[in-house]
Amino acid sequence: MASINHQASALKTGQVILLVLLYIFLYFPLLFITYDSFVHNIIWPFPPKWTLEWYQKLLGMSDFHAGLKNSFYIGLFTAIPATLFSTAAVIGLLKYRTRWRGGMILLYISPLFVPGLLIGISTLMFNANVMGMSGKLISAIIANTTEDIAFSFLVILAQLVRYDWRMDDAAMVFGATPAQVFWEVTLPTIWPAILGSFLVSFILAFNNLEISYYNLGAIPTLPTIAWGSLRHGIKPELFALATVINMLVFTAIASLFFLIQTGMVRFGYRGE
Amino acid sequence: MTGKQFLHSKDLKALALSLPGALFIIVFLFLPLATIVIYSFWRTESYTMIADWNLNNYLTILTTKTYLTFLFRSLTMSLAVSFICLVYSWPVAYYIAKYGGRYRLILTMLTAAPFFTGILLRVTAMQQILGPIGVVNMFLSNIGLKPLHFLMYSHYATAVGLVYLWIPFMVLAIYLSLLTFDFKLLDAAMINGASPLRAFWEVTLPLNWIGTCIGLALVFIPTFAATITPKFLGGVNGALYGNILAHQFGSTGTWALGAAMGVLMFTISLLFVFIVFKTVNLNRSGYTGKIAGE
Repeated sequence: MASINHQASALKTGQVILLVLLYIFLYFPLLFITYDSFVHNIIWPFPPKWTLEWYQKLLGMSDFHAGLKNSFYIGLFTAIPATLFSTAAVIGLLKYRTRWRGGMILLYISPLFVPGLLIGISTLMFNANVMGMSGKLISAIIANTTEDIAFSFLVILAQLVRYDWRMDDAAMVFGATPAQVFWEVTLPTIWPAILGSFLVSFILAFNNLEISYYNLGAIPTLPTIAWGSLRHGIKPELFALATVINMLVFTAIASLFFLIQTGMVRFGYRGE
Repeated sequence: MTGKQFLHSKDLKALALSLPGALFIIVFLFLPLATIVIYSFWRTESYTMIADWNLNNYLTILTTKTYLTFLFRSLTMSLAVSFICLVYSWPVAYYIAKYGGRYRLILTMLTAAPFFTGILLRVTAMQQILGPIGVVNMFLSNIGLKPLHFLMYSHYATAVGLVYLWIPFMVLAIYLSLLTFDFKLLDAAMINGASPLRAFWEVTLPLNWIGTCIGLALVFIPTFAATITPKFLGGVNGALYGNILAHQFGSTGTWALGAAMGVLMFTISLLFVFIVFKTVNLNRSGYTGKIAGE
């Protein structure tokens, strides 16, 4: 038994090492370009010559403002329908147990199994030849929405499986209308899941390159501008862009996590 | 109120809420996918699709050596990347699920968070690590060692980049599966004399194999369609099948051929998913015919 315990603790140590190495692998490149975005000598930035010139260059990039605006619109107008569709679906499928639940869940997550490249080219051809609209912001928004419904659905589903629907029943027993139940019981409890799914869809659509690229033609977004400039070699202003995006993502995740951890949001309340 | 009617009204309510999004997915994702199947049997002439039904696009792909080489290369790459992600993610996800305790959520979120930076910027970051002027090679040359040529602009660099992009999906899939796994089963196996290794092979892995298969599919599919990673990390000879597919929608404008390549790519992906899920033994997977939460 002692040797088994010894083996188990050795295994556990090994797993910790792998976990730490994974974090280093995932974060070192991002932290390194964050550091790089503040130095003049990007090729071998030791010792650093601090500068903000890449941020100035980023702001001065041609199309930067148009790209930012378009990316923002794609993010926003993808996140809104994706969140609405998936919230309604998750509530419908969890609250009213139907025999179509399994099939519906499969349908909602099926976009995860279609690669971005394929969504891009198929919607490009569909929009150009069937719908007669190509190179429009709305085409990119629709195409991104199909993919992000799946992510949004998973985020909400993961949180709402813990929701106790008996709370809704209780409210109904006391005479609440279905609308009142939703606004006064369900929504106040599940809004962090909805916000989380909104943020996830927003970020994914904002940063999407492959789907948007095929649907937009000449309309610039931040990722397509970045893509265009990368083809002419390494552009340190992209490090600045990555840093800004990472900071925004980090702030969003950290604040959501803070809200949940500090109990400011009573999440998935079971009523027990 | 009879039981049958009651069920009926529940079904209606569930459908009323879930149908709008389902229809959206069907109309704006499945329909376009169906149209490229149709277009793959047409031909393109000076950027216009012509409904002249034929199999030429497929014959072109299957008889052109270059296309087959790219296809084979991509297949090897995706299989290798999926395998690496699988082997690496298991111990990591296992540790988080079993020992993570109250930090489980944050430990998992930490593996998933880089995904939100976006593929392009993450590949750019990786380029700054592995490229010729990346930090690895600059460090080696600064301390007087030879640069590692195999790491820059090569298939190895592409593989590293793809693992970097998609391993969060594998960790997440295995972790979510392990969340519903009862670790006490392992104690039961060991009390009955199974070694830790045997308990893993005969209890843990089979009971979490469905989740693992989902992870494999989520890594294999985008890797097989990769375009950005090979373009920026693969170097001059690094192009993969996705790049040659994307090329048909660029300057050549051969959309019909591109559609056929897309259909072939998706078919192979589905075949992979099918084969992987064939390995699921429902008798040993813990499947009870019900979905969690039921």
